[in-house]
Amino acid sequence: MRNVRTTRWYLHLLLFAFPLWLGVISTSLADKVSLDSSNWGLEEGEACISCHKKSSAGLTHQWQSSAHASAGVNCLDCHYADQVDKDAIEHEGSIIATIVSPKDCGRCHTREYKETEGSVHSKALSLIENRIPALADNLTGQEMVTAGCAKCHGSKVEVRGDGSLSPNSWPNTGIGRINPDGSRGSCSACHGRHSFSKAQARDPSACVWCHSGPESPDREVFDSSKHGMLFAANREKMNLHSDEWVLGKDYSAAPTCVTCHMGATPGVTASHDVGMRDAWNLNQPISEKQSLIIFEDGDRRELPESQPAPRRGTEISKLDGSMGKVKAVASSKRRRQIMSKVCLECHSKGFANGFMKQFDNVVELYNEKFGKPAQAIMLALYDMNLLTPAPFDDPLEFTYWRLWHDEGTRARHGAAMMSPNFTWWEGMHLVGQNFYGEFLPQVRELAGTEKADQLINEHVLSLDEHSWLKNPSKPNPILGYGIGKPSHD
Amino acid sequence: MIKIRMPLFITRHVLLALILGGVAGIGFMVFLTEFDHFTSTEAFCTNCHSMELVAEPYRESVHFRPASGVRASCGDCHVSEGVFAATWDHFIGGKDLYNQIFGPDYDDPVIAKLHMPEAAFSAREWFRKRDSATCKRCHVKEAIYGTRPDTVEIHKQDAKDKSCIECHYNLVHAKVPAESVFKRDEWNRMIEQEFDLKRGAADKLLEE
Repeated sequence: MRNVRTTRWYLHLLLFAFPLWLGVISTSLADKVSLDSSNWGLEEGEACISCHKKSSAGLTHQWQSSAHASAGVNCLDCHYADQVDKDAIEHEGSIIATIVSPKDCGRCHTREYKETEGSVHSKALSLIENRIPALADNLTGQEMVTAGCAKCHGSKVEVRGDGSLSPNSWPNTGIGRINPDGSRGSCSACHGRHSFSKAQARDPSACVWCHSGPESPDREVFDSSKHGMLFAANREKMNLHSDEWVLGKDYSAAPTCVTCHMGATPGVTASHDVGMRDAWNLNQPISEKQSLIIFEDGDRRELPESQPAPRRGTEISKLDGSMGKVKAVASSKRRRQIMSKVCLECHSKGFANGFMKQFDNVVELYNEKFGKPAQAIMLALYDMNLLTPAPFDDPLEFTYWRLWHDEGTRARHGAAMMSPNFTWWEGMHLVGQNFYGEFLPQVRELAGTEKADQLINEHVLSLDEHSWLKNPSKPNPILGYGIGKPSHD
Repeated sequence: MIKIRMPLFITRHVLLALILGGVAGIGFMVFLTEFDHFTSTEAFCTNCHSMELVAEPYRESVHFRPASGVRASCGDCHVSEGVFAATWDHFIGGKDLYNQIFGPDYDDPVIAKLHMPEAAFSAREWFRKRDSATCKRCHVKEAIYGTRPDTVEIHKQDAKDKSCIECHYNLVHAKVPAESVFKRDEWNRMIEQEFDLKRGAADKLLEE
């Protein structure tokens, strides 16, 4: 008896120690700037205002009504630059930089800077860099990197020798922007300048300018979910302007993106590491559960759980290729625990766990029935030289891309955030249509009956999920078969 | 007949010398005026190929092609008002001619661009020392209405004690950063990229 109790006590300790150790200390307050106000309010910066009130009244007005202005933070406090800074320019007698990087914001907002710096958001560009040539060089053109990809994923800002910022890389507020000072990210990706309003960043619209469309259909998913329904109907009850914004304390009418992915609840501290609570990677041909590796210098990366988790103290490569010493590993299970803790503010444990199970089931169904067989067939076709290594020079490649990237992603994101429409009609329903109606017929066309049959037998028909194909005489009235016949009831 | 009584020391010779000297003096002044005028024209300045390189961006600028048709030529901005000041400016400017003949090969676009920042810095300094005097030949601060409603207010209030050049540079010629933030390395890299040179080639050319 005593043993059981001790074990249970340890388990509790572990459960509570984990959030502590992740920095998710059970204070539920948003972190305030702890710097003394003598650190800002540069006298030289006061002079900017009179002129900018006239020359760019819009942005000055935004700033004037901001928390920055009421705290006495002026233009130069953020735009101040050192002579040696790569992007320093002389402007009306002051040395400034156009770009205020997260590192600059971090002079005061240190904690938020640290959290975003290691997060998956700040690596949004490096994560897709190897895909860009296929989409830009092959499918479209370089212009699209600047006007498309980089708008969300961030540009690598190029400062030219004459001090100007290259229009190939600026203007840009992509969240994975690589700044002239070497820092990654862009605070204004979510916190629109120059008001930097809390309420604005808490609104789902702060996310949906990137998280919409096939790759990340979260706007559509949220809008058509129960959470989105409640938000739309109760917007004015959301207390978005509140100084602190703790779920269950400051608001409860509906959750937004912020609530679940980074928000504070009693027992869970807000974090600007937005991906931290995600257990799955939902944007790959096959989803994997991922652990979060935390390095000693605060940097982080994800690692699929199919790979052995590194031990504390070992060195593994970071996303930028350099090596880092592992400080801690958060398993997908632990990441899910934090996310679920948010659910519990409004739902019972059984409800939350039941929902998570439904979500996991959809992801696993996608993986096993469509993702894995389709990928195996594609790899075999590349191996057999039936497809050239270049992407998108065969119709089948578009079909496959659409299968996992557009339709498969919609299904998985739909399930993650409870949009029945996206999980089904815009998601898995299209995945199924595509797989049976386009993908497999195109494989047959490309590989010829003999080779295709071999591939399909091996990767598709061998699976129980596809056994219905072997049973063509089993009727269903959905397309009209049997309707009107006396035997049909 | 009115008889003018000359002082005794004015002999016929002295009178002749005075008249000749006076005429020569007037002639010299006319010459200087004409000389300054002629040597201030775009046609004269671009006699040197290196100046043609500087003139190219100028011809794209508003100072070359303003809506009003008031074209500013080289001397309007870069040569002071008044015959003595103008002559002095031309005299000092003579060092450019010396450098053109005996210095680096400024006719080479790469060399010209490599040396351009120093030229830009000294030109800006020249404007600053003279309180942008040549700008004010045409521009009157109180009369700058601009295209934005508040431009006139900015010039009356915020720029009240400022000299034109303090805010308005990089208007006419190729863009060069302010001296306070200029980075030679970055400038050289830009030139290497622009002219398809190997990395480090610009530094070598600059040393020569």
